[in-house]
Amino acid sequence: MNVEGVSVESVEDATRGRRGQRAAARSTELVPLGRAVGAEWVKLWSVRSTWWCLAGAAALMVLGAVTVGAGEATDLARSGAGNARLTAGEPVLSAAALVPFAMAAMATLVITSEYASRGIWGTLQAVPVRGRVLAAKALVVAPVAAVAGVLSGTAATAAVAAVLSADVFGVRVALPPADIALDLLRMGLFFALVSVMTVGVGAAVRSAAGTLSVVFMLLMGVPMLLLMTGGSVALEASLRMPLFAGLAFLESADTITGGPIPYPAGEGLAWLLAWTAAALAAGHAMLRRRDA
Amino acid sequence: MISLKGLCKRYGDRTAVDDLSLEVRPGAVTGFLGPNGAGKSTTMRLILGLDRPTAGTALIGGVPYRELRNPLRTVGAMLDARALHPGRSGYAHLTALARSNGIARGRVTEVLQTVGMAEVARRRAGALSLGMSQRLGIAAALLGDPEVLIFDEPVNGLDPEGVRWGRHLMRSLADEGRTVFVSSHLMSEMQLTADHLVVIGRGRLIMDAPLAEVIAGSALTAVAVRTPHADDLSARLGAAGVTVERLGENELVATGATIERVGDLAYEAGIRLHELRTREASLEQAYQELTAGSVEYSTRGTAA
Repeated sequence: MNVEGVSVESVEDATRGRRGQRAAARSTELVPLGRAVGAEWVKLWSVRSTWWCLAGAAALMVLGAVTVGAGEATDLARSGAGNARLTAGEPVLSAAALVPFAMAAMATLVITSEYASRGIWGTLQAVPVRGRVLAAKALVVAPVAAVAGVLSGTAATAAVAAVLSADVFGVRVALPPADIALDLLRMGLFFALVSVMTVGVGAAVRSAAGTLSVVFMLLMGVPMLLLMTGGSVALEASLRMPLFAGLAFLESADTITGGPIPYPAGEGLAWLLAWTAAALAAGHAMLRRRDA
Repeated sequence: MISLKGLCKRYGDRTAVDDLSLEVRPGAVTGFLGPNGAGKSTTMRLILGLDRPTAGTALIGGVPYRELRNPLRTVGAMLDARALHPGRSGYAHLTALARSNGIARGRVTEVLQTVGMAEVARRRAGALSLGMSQRLGIAAALLGDPEVLIFDEPVNGLDPEGVRWGRHLMRSLADEGRTVFVSSHLMSEMQLTADHLVVIGRGRLIMDAPLAEVIAGSALTAVAVRTPHADDLSARLGAAGVTVERLGENELVATGATIERVGDLAYEAGIRLHELRTREASLEQAYQELTAGSVEYSTRGTAA
């Protein structure tokens, strides 16, 4: 073999090496993460609590939407507007304000049940990289919450349309398909982000009761307290908390504040993402710092 | 191979593990002994990267646990058999673990058969007896066919047949050249299983030696003699500086001398012997001597 040949080969080797390294770097991240996600997926569906939480979410959504819708229809009928139109999506969006609590319950159990049973030891033995465990749990709850949101939202819309079409209500139910589809997708994303935020809180807090309390405070408690103070800064702040940010993102017309959230949907999504990122960062920091 | 170097773990002002350095070698069962609260479980948690050491290192084959790729394929461990979601079946538990480390699905069925719980694998883990949970924990440890095995009280809750099974399992794992590190407080069990012993007390290393050496080193390892001239021999041995205990009309136990020396002294005095043998201390006795000074919760101390 001549000298030139060697040098050409070594250049090729170097190129292949660099490319290989980059591919290896990608696979060192992705392959183990994929495996960790697979494990979390098996764990999520092998306990009953997941099913209970999802059933609860669906029930809240359907019953909430039908109840709100019936109320609105009755009001419309009483106001004497003959043959008033009611959009089926509106009551569903109102009900969607309740469902994040059920999603939070599901996501809470994904992490806190491991601390309660000390199963977290086995989890961290199998996947010792703390961030990877957290990412895997988030990547599993997010799509489940999103799909649950879309499916239960669809069921709720259908239920509202079916029930309110009954003659007793005397209203016409509108079903604009594009609007409804967009609402459902946003709802799925909203629920996914709430569930991921909860995983972050759970990793930081570890106990189920503590996690649910913190998430409840973030969603409801703190915004309510802020609203009660009555100050304009407090009001603005409360509207940026995750639940109201989510309702802004959904462009829900009728919220607990008495009307739509007074800023654009995009800003609502941005706040929601910020809260989720903060919770994940807190969870990650605590997972890394504290002993298992 | 597990190597600990200057390993320390403090929780507040309590020191659980104090400057522990040792190596656990492959091809042997290493028993890990110590009184309650001596730091055995903490040491295992440090090895497994569950807790962070305050100082020092714990390496497995030269690598910290947290840096192992697919750690279950290198280290199998059972710390607490009940440490799993009570609502999940053993089968699902093992399937999740297998997925996390890219272990073939067939391996789950295989290890379930190895530990003899294939029939109850679909039952909720919370409904399993302690013995069955223990077997499930061992199955999880074996899942990745690892080089290093760590068991915290593995035969706890097993029935006598299960204890025997566990003993054979440890033995065969070590005979296959694996590193087997087992903690236990059942001394009789350790005496039958372990080749090497590591004894700690109050987080510090007390003894790191082969089992035979630990037992030979005990003050209770002695020479038993049966002779019709017990009085005579007792005086002779006493004069030679050997401690003698009279057990019966014709029986003596001599400590502080080898069996050869006792035999020679009797021969020189022309004393007939009907029996001359080494009476080995049990591991339990040897262990109690070793740890007498470091029992954290002594029953005697409570009266004060």
